[in-house]
Amino acid sequence: MSRGWRPYAAATKVPAMKRSVGAVSLALLLVFLLGPAGGAQAKPWWMRGIDSNETDFLPPDVAFRVSARIDGNVVKVRWVIADGYYLYRQKFEVRAESPDLLIAAPQLPTGTLKTDPYMGTQQVYTQQVEAIVPYSRIDAGAHPLQIKVTYQGCAEAGLCYPPITKVVFPTVGSATVVTSEPPYPWESTAIIGGAAAFLLAGLVLRKGRKLDMPV
Amino acid sequence: MKTSGLRYLAGALVVLLGMWAGLKFHAVHRASEATVAVPAGVASAPDPKENVALEAAAPPVVPARLPDFSLTDMSGKSTSIAEWSGKSLVINFWATWCAPCRREIPLLKTLSADWAGRDLTVIGVAVDYVDKVRQFAEQFKIEYPVLIGEQDALEVAAKFGMASPAFPFTVFTDRRGEVVALFVGELHRPQADFILSEVQNLNQERIALPEARRAIAAGLEAMAAKKAG
Repeated sequence: MSRGWRPYAAATKVPAMKRSVGAVSLALLLVFLLGPAGGAQAKPWWMRGIDSNETDFLPPDVAFRVSARIDGNVVKVRWVIADGYYLYRQKFEVRAESPDLLIAAPQLPTGTLKTDPYMGTQQVYTQQVEAIVPYSRIDAGAHPLQIKVTYQGCAEAGLCYPPITKVVFPTVGSATVVTSEPPYPWESTAIIGGAAAFLLAGLVLRKGRKLDMPV
Repeated sequence: MKTSGLRYLAGALVVLLGMWAGLKFHAVHRASEATVAVPAGVASAPDPKENVALEAAAPPVVPARLPDFSLTDMSGKSTSIAEWSGKSLVINFWATWCAPCRREIPLLKTLSADWAGRDLTVIGVAVDYVDKVRQFAEQFKIEYPVLIGEQDALEVAAKFGMASPAFPFTVFTDRRGEVVALFVGELHRPQADFILSEVQNLNQERIALPEARRAIAAGLEAMAAKKAG
């Protein structure tokens, strides 16, 4: 963004005062842009407390990483679980998200038994777990294949996350994949808004100047 | 010359305005998304978009003072937190489906009994269904006040900077209603005693709030290091 401003200012040989105004505007812009972004990355919510009263718990999407791939007539959904974290077997749910998709009950391996004096005995998974989900499609794949998975887990150190639901887009073939959220409607608005603002700014700035257009 | 300068400024202002509008729109949209979320602990889960939006947004801030809120108590009566104003509070956010939350209950009961009549009150805020909480409270003989809510309790959690919460977490305030500590995760007796001793120091004006917060942070860190070592 700043690149667009700098050559323009240099090429038009702006006098000192103009340059200083331009520099101030640029600085303002940078502060505005970098300020909130830098703050957001500095300390995510799960790591902050009051002053340095921080906790070391992982964000749920780091503690539990989910991916999915298509293998013949099944989808294999895999969770990689961080050390010191676990997922409850009975909290897993898999549902069809695509309109043409039919799925059978997921097959989950037997978990390890975890006994808590206040919670009873439950099956949990640590390290990793794969659910095998048989599926069939009514329209032979006119829609992208989407599956909605729900899972819930905790940290051994004493923190539980509410159930997490994600839409996964399994891909054909080996390992990789994408889990993704539905797109945000505000994204396009923000982009168009930003573009419009720049266009407007450009119009304001070029007033009185000739465009170097071919005749 | 002067007008060109003004044009630059006007241009910069338009751009800033555009970006501000974009961010504002994002924030508003995020807020409306959050209201769609289902209460924690139910079979159908909160909207995953909520998590992602939060990670992308600026970190929520723990309030300096106890925010005002009302939730229903065990008998279904709407109760304001202001009912306990003038007292130091230990506000424990929990849910019946959460194992570490359950494990904390005996400690909270003990704290409540130990501090009875000494201007300190333990309050539970259950982000859960009323029936489940009532049944649990009966089974575990919880005698301290418990406020209950679903979406409304999640909104209260958000007021403490925990908009996408994990449970349990516990808020400590002094008698002036200043938030002294927010402890995320399972609370144990040594940590609780330590934080409460600092709350007492504050109440008796032996220490100032920033000093107390720093002392708590350092003390908790030392305890964690000792445990790890």
